[in-house]
Amino acid sequence: MIDGSEILVKAGIVLAFALNGAVIFTILDVKGASWMQRRPGPLHVGLRGFIFPLAEIIKFFQKEDITPKNVDTAVFKWAPAYVLASVFGLFVVVPISPTLVGSDLDLGVFYLLAISSLSTLGVLTAGWSSANKYSLMGGIRAAGQLIAYELPLILSVVGVVIQAETMSLVGIVEKQIEWGLPFAISGQGIAFIIFMIAATAEMMRVPFDMPIGESELVSGFLTEYSGVRFLIFYIAEYMNMFIMCAIASTLFLGGYHFPLLPVEWVNFYGPVVLITKTFLLGFILVLVRWSFPRFREDQLQNLAWKILIPLSLLNILITSIMKVVF
Amino acid sequence: MKMNLSNSPEFVESLTSAFPTLENNFDTLKITVKSSEWVEKVSQLKDEFNLTYFSWLSAIDWENEVSVGDPPKEPVTSHFEIVCCLSDSLEGNLVLISTDIEKEDAKIPSLVKVFAGSNWHEREAYEMFGIEFINHPNLTKMYLPDDYEGNPMLKSFELISREVKPWPGEVDVEGMPDDGAEENS
Amino acid sequence: MDEILNSGNIPYVSEASVSVEIETEDMTLNIGPQHPSTHGVLRLVAKVDGEKISSVEPVLGYMHRGYEKLAEVRTYPQITTLVNRIDWVSGFANEIPFIAATEKLMEIEAPERAKHIRLILTEMARIASHFVFNGAYALEIGALTPIFLAMEDRERILDLIESVTGGRFHPNFNRIGGIKPAAGSGPTTKKNVQDLPSGFYQETRDAMEKVLEAVERMEDLVGGNEVFKMRTKGVGIISKELAEEYGVSGPILRASGVKFDLRTQTDFLPYDKFEYEIPTGENGDCYDRWYVRLVEMRESAKIILQAIDSMPSGPLQTKVPKVIKVPKGQSYVRTENPKGEMGYYIISEGGLGPYRLKIRTPSFSNISILPVLLEGQLLPDLIAIMGSLDFVLGDVDR
Repeated sequence: MIDGSEILVKAGIVLAFALNGAVIFTILDVKGASWMQRRPGPLHVGLRGFIFPLAEIIKFFQKEDITPKNVDTAVFKWAPAYVLASVFGLFVVVPISPTLVGSDLDLGVFYLLAISSLSTLGVLTAGWSSANKYSLMGGIRAAGQLIAYELPLILSVVGVVIQAETMSLVGIVEKQIEWGLPFAISGQGIAFIIFMIAATAEMMRVPFDMPIGESELVSGFLTEYSGVRFLIFYIAEYMNMFIMCAIASTLFLGGYHFPLLPVEWVNFYGPVVLITKTFLLGFILVLVRWSFPRFREDQLQNLAWKILIPLSLLNILITSIMKVVF
Repeated sequence: MKMNLSNSPEFVESLTSAFPTLENNFDTLKITVKSSEWVEKVSQLKDEFNLTYFSWLSAIDWENEVSVGDPPKEPVTSHFEIVCCLSDSLEGNLVLISTDIEKEDAKIPSLVKVFAGSNWHEREAYEMFGIEFINHPNLTKMYLPDDYEGNPMLKSFELISREVKPWPGEVDVEGMPDDGAEENS
Repeated sequence: MDEILNSGNIPYVSEASVSVEIETEDMTLNIGPQHPSTHGVLRLVAKVDGEKISSVEPVLGYMHRGYEKLAEVRTYPQITTLVNRIDWVSGFANEIPFIAATEKLMEIEAPERAKHIRLILTEMARIASHFVFNGAYALEIGALTPIFLAMEDRERILDLIESVTGGRFHPNFNRIGGIKPAAGSGPTTKKNVQDLPSGFYQETRDAMEKVLEAVERMEDLVGGNEVFKMRTKGVGIISKELAEEYGVSGPILRASGVKFDLRTQTDFLPYDKFEYEIPTGENGDCYDRWYVRLVEMRESAKIILQAIDSMPSGPLQTKVPKVIKVPKGQSYVRTENPKGEMGYYIISEGGLGPYRLKIRTPSFSNISILPVLLEGQLLPDLIAIMGSLDFVLGDVDR
């Protein structure tokens, strides 16, 4: 019997978790950037720089809502909401401790991959419905890129599923605890790297931000979005980054488990451990973002189809062989 | 004081034998040719003397009554002078070649077949002076808006700001001082 | 439909063949006057087929200020104010060819100390301009950090220029016959006036050390990056013949393999007293153009360090009359602007101002190559190529 109030409470907590995650990763990204670029603003100004997310959100809220005349109004207005909804859905399955999870589905991994690929449609329609050639080009590039990088994402996770013999996320973490080593070391190292690369491409971050392509397409598919609509895309991107790093640390790095801590207290230290691991992965993504130039579209597709997919197929092959043999 | 180390004396000599009208003032070599031989002479410079680098092409408006600035010292017949500058990118030799054409119905063959880079320079001369270049592939305005009337670089074209405050013209002049003057403006 | 079914002659699906020629038209994309990557207001009307460009037509003139006409109504000392706004990134280097042409017509020569100071400031302008290039080019390729670092290093150079001349971008420091006594040095009528500010030598040495470090860092951070190399190697190759036909000059010509530097061709500034190398590239692609400018920064820093150590003493300006009238004559002088070859053709009729001043700017000729070069390239490559040509709209439009 499903209790209505329990659902509401869980939904509320997941929502709060998601929004806070986005804000925390915004801070990580911008502070990392200004540390690398020697900018004083986000490092020193205003409470050692921590006040700027508040400033940004207030700035976006007080902007005028501009809808250009020729756009397809319904699609234009609902595309950001669509992207946001598809990202929210990912927060439900990620466990922060064996019992603290939105809903521990048996098909956890399958659900994750399916929901995360819904955002492609949102991006494409955002680019198409703005009556702007630059947005159109951004949307088309986005479609090509996102579809191309779905496959390495999925295939790299298949290796983990084979090794863990279960698709539920809690089950995967338990398997890693049983083996004593996180999957990134005990056999899924290549899959880990492929997953991180494919996740960066799915989030459309530099070096894969051709669809946004700031110096060429003036924001690509986001060109006509301003104010709160842009804020929704912005928050969706950071939530996506947070949850992808959390998923990566659950699948490959052992999630909420830390080797020497007592198991009875896992409900307390579980979240802390998971968030720390997420932070580490996020920091690596931030470093890459601010140092690398962006790939050209055909080089990007090259990387996906000719390099990453064969590697991940090879990984599945090796994993299944090892599974049968041992 | 030598300014251009580049024009070697042998080059100047070989050029003088081919072009008797060569002048060498202030280290600038300048050849004048007739407008009917314009393309031919420029091609000769490119092929024989290895001046394969196209630097610029422009025009000068010689006129006695000017609405801006000072008129020329001695009276001149009013005509256009087309100047083209070629150079050699290995040795550094630099030559200016010029020809005179008349103002009424000003036309001259285009150099686009010889140097592809003269395309834009000729367009600029066209819109600034009103000179028509025959056989130019795309003779349209370059800098000015499409509905602009007049050719700005002509001496008869007035600057609006000089209507308000006219050009002061010649003021009292001193010669080169010996030791007395120390202030310079 | 019934006729077909009842006729006994039903076409088989396997025999049907679809031959549809889909007519597509190229989309006209306006890489408009306002765009993050055109260095100023340049408009490119591009016809694109997907991501491939079929033709490009630049539309110029958004920044045309009519310098050649304005120069006819100004006196010679006033023209230096006009002229250092042509290429606003390297302010000082624009004045040099004009002053050279004027001094040649007047047949005077600046004193040695003035020439040395002019050389130092020109090389500093070159370093400043190349810093802007390095930062902005990385930004257009997509790396978001190098521009901040480049701009910070550039601030030091601009501070030095300001301490000597009083202006960061438009120094207006040359006078006919020499240079102006420096800012911060007291009234000009005193004898034994201190011309360079105190501490200038030491600050310049420190700044040049930092420049050398910045060049190393840029070479590593940007040049060693795999993605950068993928984006720029083999892209936008300009052959030597194409460059010469169109009048392309400066680092672009040197990257295509022609070792031609105007600093060795004229002795207006005493470059022959210092040792420096002239970098050239092999292929003429975007990477070579970027690399040539990076090495030029290093060589300029070395020249400045040598020039400071060997600065002669003496007056700063030769005696010229109060009202300058240049005798009748015509002269053309060109020197090496950071962007390429800049030349001034002065036709003087003995008046207060020139009868005709023709300004030959490097960026105008450099971008006349765009319609030929960009045919058949991809759109991101257009951005990479345009960035590597390093033009400034003030130069193009005058």
